[in-house]
Amino acid sequence: MAGILKPPGNFALTPHKVSICILVQVYAPPSEISVPFPFSSVSHHNSLGIFLLSLTKACDSIFEPSLDELIAQLREIGGLLNHWLSDHLTSRLSSLASPDDLFNFFNDLRGILGGSDANVVDDDQIVLDPSSALGMFVRRCLLAFNVISFEGVCHLLSNIGTYCKESLSDCPPFELSHLDDSSNDPELEYESMELENFVFEKVSEEFEARKLANERVSFHSHAPGALFELVEDTDFAPSSSGEHIDRPREVSPCAPSTSDTLRGTDRPGGTFLRTNWQVQGYLSEQADAIEKHGSSFPLHAFESILKMLQKSAPELHRVHFLRYLNSLHHDDYPGALENLHRYFDYSAGTEGVEFVLAPSGCSGLGRYEIALLCLGMMHFHLGHPKQSLEVLIEAVQVSQQHSDDTCLAYTLAAICNLLSAIGFSNMTGIIGASYWPVAGIGTSSSIQQQLFVLLRRSLKRAESLKLKRLVASIHLEIAKFDLTHVQRPLLSFGPKASTKLRTRPANICKELWTSYHLISEFTDENAIMAVDGAFCTSWLQNLKKPTGLLVFSQENGTRGDSDSFKFSAQPSSIPGSVLHLLGSSYLVRAAAWEAYGSAPLVRINALVFATCFTDSSSSADAALAYAKLIQHLAVFKGYKDAFAALKIAEEKFLCVSKSIILLVKLQLLHERALHRGHLKLAQQLCDELGVLASPVTGVDMELKTEASLRHARTLLAANQYDQAAAIAHSLFCMCYKFNMQVQNATVLLLLAEIHKRSGNAVSGIPYVLACLSFCQSFNLDLLKASATLTLAELWLSLGPSHAKKALVLIHGAFPLLLGHGGLELRSRAFITEAKCYLAEPSFSVSEDPEMVLEPLRQASEELQLLEHHELASEAFYLMAIVYDKLGQLDEREEAAASFKKHITALENPEDKDNALSNLP
Amino acid sequence: MASKETCRTELRSAVRILSDRCLYSASKWAAEQLMGIEQDPTKNTPSHTRFQRGSSSIRRRFRTAASGDPSATPSAGVSYVSTPLMAGVEEYDYGAIDNDFYLLAKSYFDCREYRRAAHVLRDQISKKAVFLRCYALYLAGEKRKEEEMIELEGPLGKSDAVNKENVSLERELSTLRKNGTIDSFCLYVYGLVLKEKGSENLARTVLVESVNSYPWNWSAWSELQSLCTTIETLNSLNLNNHWMKDFFLASAYQELRMHNESLSKYEHLQVTFSFSNYIQAQIAKAQYNLREFEVVEVIFEELLRNDPYRIEDMDMYSNVLYAKECFSALSYLAHRVFLTDKYRPESCCIIGNYYSLKGQHEKSVVYFRRALKLNKNYLSAWTLMGHEYVEMKNTSAAVDAYRRAVDINPCDYRAWYGLGQAYEMMVMPFYALHYFKKSVFLQPNDSRLWIAMAQCYETEQLHMLEEAIKCYKRAANCNDREAIALHQLAKLHCELGHTEEAEFYYKKDLDRMEAEEREGPNMVKALMFLAKHCKSKKRFEEAEVYCTRLLDYTGPEKETAESILRGIRGEKLDVEHFPS
Repeated sequence: MAGILKPPGNFALTPHKVSICILVQVYAPPSEISVPFPFSSVSHHNSLGIFLLSLTKACDSIFEPSLDELIAQLREIGGLLNHWLSDHLTSRLSSLASPDDLFNFFNDLRGILGGSDANVVDDDQIVLDPSSALGMFVRRCLLAFNVISFEGVCHLLSNIGTYCKESLSDCPPFELSHLDDSSNDPELEYESMELENFVFEKVSEEFEARKLANERVSFHSHAPGALFELVEDTDFAPSSSGEHIDRPREVSPCAPSTSDTLRGTDRPGGTFLRTNWQVQGYLSEQADAIEKHGSSFPLHAFESILKMLQKSAPELHRVHFLRYLNSLHHDDYPGALENLHRYFDYSAGTEGVEFVLAPSGCSGLGRYEIALLCLGMMHFHLGHPKQSLEVLIEAVQVSQQHSDDTCLAYTLAAICNLLSAIGFSNMTGIIGASYWPVAGIGTSSSIQQQLFVLLRRSLKRAESLKLKRLVASIHLEIAKFDLTHVQRPLLSFGPKASTKLRTRPANICKELWTSYHLISEFTDENAIMAVDGAFCTSWLQNLKKPTGLLVFSQENGTRGDSDSFKFSAQPSSIPGSVLHLLGSSYLVRAAAWEAYGSAPLVRINALVFATCFTDSSSSADAALAYAKLIQHLAVFKGYKDAFAALKIAEEKFLCVSKSIILLVKLQLLHERALHRGHLKLAQQLCDELGVLASPVTGVDMELKTEASLRHARTLLAANQYDQAAAIAHSLFCMCYKFNMQVQNATVLLLLAEIHKRSGNAVSGIPYVLACLSFCQSFNLDLLKASATLTLAELWLSLGPSHAKKALVLIHGAFPLLLGHGGLELRSRAFITEAKCYLAEPSFSVSEDPEMVLEPLRQASEELQLLEHHELASEAFYLMAIVYDKLGQLDEREEAAASFKKHITALENPEDKDNALSNLP
Repeated sequence: MASKETCRTELRSAVRILSDRCLYSASKWAAEQLMGIEQDPTKNTPSHTRFQRGSSSIRRRFRTAASGDPSATPSAGVSYVSTPLMAGVEEYDYGAIDNDFYLLAKSYFDCREYRRAAHVLRDQISKKAVFLRCYALYLAGEKRKEEEMIELEGPLGKSDAVNKENVSLERELSTLRKNGTIDSFCLYVYGLVLKEKGSENLARTVLVESVNSYPWNWSAWSELQSLCTTIETLNSLNLNNHWMKDFFLASAYQELRMHNESLSKYEHLQVTFSFSNYIQAQIAKAQYNLREFEVVEVIFEELLRNDPYRIEDMDMYSNVLYAKECFSALSYLAHRVFLTDKYRPESCCIIGNYYSLKGQHEKSVVYFRRALKLNKNYLSAWTLMGHEYVEMKNTSAAVDAYRRAVDINPCDYRAWYGLGQAYEMMVMPFYALHYFKKSVFLQPNDSRLWIAMAQCYETEQLHMLEEAIKCYKRAANCNDREAIALHQLAKLHCELGHTEEAEFYYKKDLDRMEAEEREGPNMVKALMFLAKHCKSKKRFEEAEVYCTRLLDYTGPEKETAESILRGIRGEKLDVEHFPS
């Protein structure tokens, strides 16, 4: 029934636990001397104890090892005893033939516990301290057995039977023929019928748990001594996923032998249903994993597990949510929609956030506003901006109605994110004015102004609710907003404050710094967590990136009673979501520096992210950082290095559609094709880039801009000026419509370039000047420098009389161009400088040849690295002329030969590889 | 269609064969149909027929030659001895001792001691014994499964209890089938096992084999029907032509929501089985789904006269009575079923309906809950409970109940509609649209669903009037009884300034109101609009007609009409005086 939360299931006796009890009995037989019978030494005895300790710690996890696995593990520590131990274990287990045997067994078990007056016993005698870890475990088992009904005893007994039988049927460990095995054992076949489908699926190789279990097993066989470390690390079991999870591609297909023995572990709820906590913990862990890996997460394998879980525990509605997440991240719209609705219909948004109800106590109403929030995020993720906005606005209303402030804050933040990520040209017609959360300023003002107001308001709200992560992420969002928007006065009447129409880098730094502050505040956050934890946090990641993901995970990390769900990859108490936020602040920083034009700082920030935060962030974010680094390499080191790096990145991240890595690859290929003069290929690549974008208006704006920019550049390279100009114009119109000022500056520069190339320098100048003013107000320093360079080129082409002016301009821009510009920009600057000198009537080559030759040499070297034939040929041509004037014939011939080489390469691009397929 | 006489003889023998094999519900069904055939007045009274069946039973051979013909061997009154055997050969090596074993097993079975029954038959090899053993084992497993389901029920709901016998049964039966020594009843059990295991395709094939070789086992037909969830699977079945197939198809069509097709099948069957309560009830069900409540009521009254202690399908009758707000009839029905068998889900449902009609929603929820306790997959109880919770304004509980109904049968458009309504109540119209879309997809000819969806679009928040108009148009096209759609269409068009369309719909609305002799504010509105519109279009005669009709009403409209009339006259004069 809705709203009725069943108490979390507690400790349940399973055959595996009975096995542990048997081993504990071996470890601590009642009234024996210091080294009991089968053991040869104290250390030997201790090793079993440590093993048992790790087993008891692990027994809250979702997967319980089968008897085979247990025996395999026993062999590792057993040494000489291994046969004795495993034989003893199996014989004890198989001797449990009637309920009475079980009663007697647990009675005997009681005997190994010491009394409460444990301090009076002899030193020699082994008595299990009832309050020790093992003692606690035994006591829990005893308690569980005491409360169990007779039916329960019968079930335990039959479960033990299957547990032993499974092990026997699996006995030949190196046979993959489990199917044949189980056909001898028809009962098993029937039970595992459902499982077999996916056990033998190829995808199961990527399946997390198996992989983890694999790691665990190999870990044992390689380093049995490391058990000691294991004990220190409380998360012994597969739940210690964090450290393995981030290497999704690394795990090779499992060896058949191990996968065979692991079969037993792959069935949560298969033979033995786990407790509520275990299942919930497993699910939230998987949710994190889905979110992290996005579409590279195995879809079908996980889906079938979830289906099975659902079958065995129909009241566990969280499963629907996981199914929703799973379909969402594989872009399965109907599946996601169906499961989302199902989840919230059943649980009214209260399950999965089980421990805290909203502070306002709206438990009776359900929390459907969260459903709306999730639905909105889903539409956003799948690129349906209109629906998303509709739903989120409905969420605002519903949360206002239920006075659910927390949800309201998150919803507002989500709307901010939506508005900033997706281009809305015009809000009217989408929203009924009275329901718009910032109705105060009316719909007449631009989207940007509304977003501005919305951001400040949601920041205030989040601050007053003490939602620290939200605050931090809104700060990031504000930083992003400030980066690309000039602040204007909101009022269109009254005395105007003297606002400088510029962006303010200082503000952005301040915002970023404030968001970074979170880490220091987090230490005292535990108190607030109760409120905050109800809404999860990790989905917050979404607030920064459209590719980010949405999850409703709880803050398990800091909860004492769910220790086993903690990631072992996080030794500190900082939860993953906080780390993630911090990481993205570095990404925003990198983006900011990219805009401002400081290449080294971009590189450093991306590097920091890639080294420190990849573990805690989603794979999409990590890919972004890698992409930045690759782009940096391409611009500064040439394509060879960049492609080598790309190869590494491709191995690391799954190259699925729309992934940033694919994008970078296309960009690099296009760039190189342009430089080499493979125009057809360039056009092809450009088209490919274009189709990656969603056809919906306003979605994937960056991608669309990028594609048409590149299209125009390709046309320009093919000397089709009219078409190039037409495309650039329409691009400008689009950018203007969606208020993308920064892009506008780039487009203007491109237009100037087109005019320059078409030999129409005069009409190019206004474009450059417009671009320059844009750059000034947005602090786009590098772009400004490159615009200055273009301006100089334009002046120069107006005639030699303007050479001086051009030279002054170039020299003014030189510090930035040489310090931060890429190879192409630098060489262009050098060439233009040389051309200026050569054009200037007062300059004589013979007097100071190095003034010209040095920059030309520099340029030619760098251009060769870049394989930019066109500019390189120009450089060599100029060099040849200079040498000719100087009368150095050998050098002249050499330069001329190089010129010829580049020109022919440019004119006959077909010689080289031109198909997409044989490119790296 | 076979003649009445053939049907009669076939059914007579079937009842015996089925009940001898302990397939009681199938034999009950067959007996009901047997009684449903119009009695031939020239023949003996029904009580005598069983002594006279030997002669006619021979005729059955031509239908089921493949599986061996049940040849009735009449014997004085002792039915189990007289039951015809399936295979002629077996009949002879079926010695007296074996027969005694079977008798004992059957007695155990009748006392619901299934395992004992199976144990008695452990070494018997006759087909009948094999079947009874398998069937008893299957039932024993089912019983144990249900017990286990309760024992193992954890905090997260049922555990995955399975019928432990299924594995061995499947193995044995599949071997039998491969050897070709399986009879149609064992095939039926095999089908049950396969269905539970989830291999539906094989289960379908096996059940088809079973009904083709022995068509009178209604239980097999109904299992088969539950496996046909789409019309494609239904059409792909390779079924022999037999009159039982018509029963099957009729019921399958009904499940697939092809009510008219199903109705015509039943009406065709009714020619032969003119007194069959079953067919009558099924016709009522189809009519109910077509929302012909009057017809349904008549049928049920008749049914109750013939069969006053009937409980099956009576919940539907109660729904009809509920819809027609017949308090006393519903209470009478509730009382009757309560006295007959209060622990039937149907009885609980009827009582729940009664309380709901009385407005005592808490009490009605109690009874719906009881119904669900008796049968967790009782679809209509979940939906009705959802309605109750909606009445009690407990929307989240309502949503939960509806969702369970939908998950049991995703084709239940009522529950989808309920979900939409619940969310609309919570002022989440956009969210609700998803559910309304589902329900109209399943039941595109129900104007109420379209109207609900249109109203959702019309809400202040969404204000998607174009979409609302589309929905209303659909509603108007599918027999909108309450005539909401036409009026809304006119209003919306008027709001959007589409005066031509508005005029069209107001006129239509007016015609309809006139035809149904309804008066009311809508009439006034329509007249008012039309009067003004015609005036503005200079169609003065028309405008005058509307205005004069308006004069019959009191209130401000009358005055407005008068002023319009004055205006018209003025303008008319102008036109006459200054002809341009």
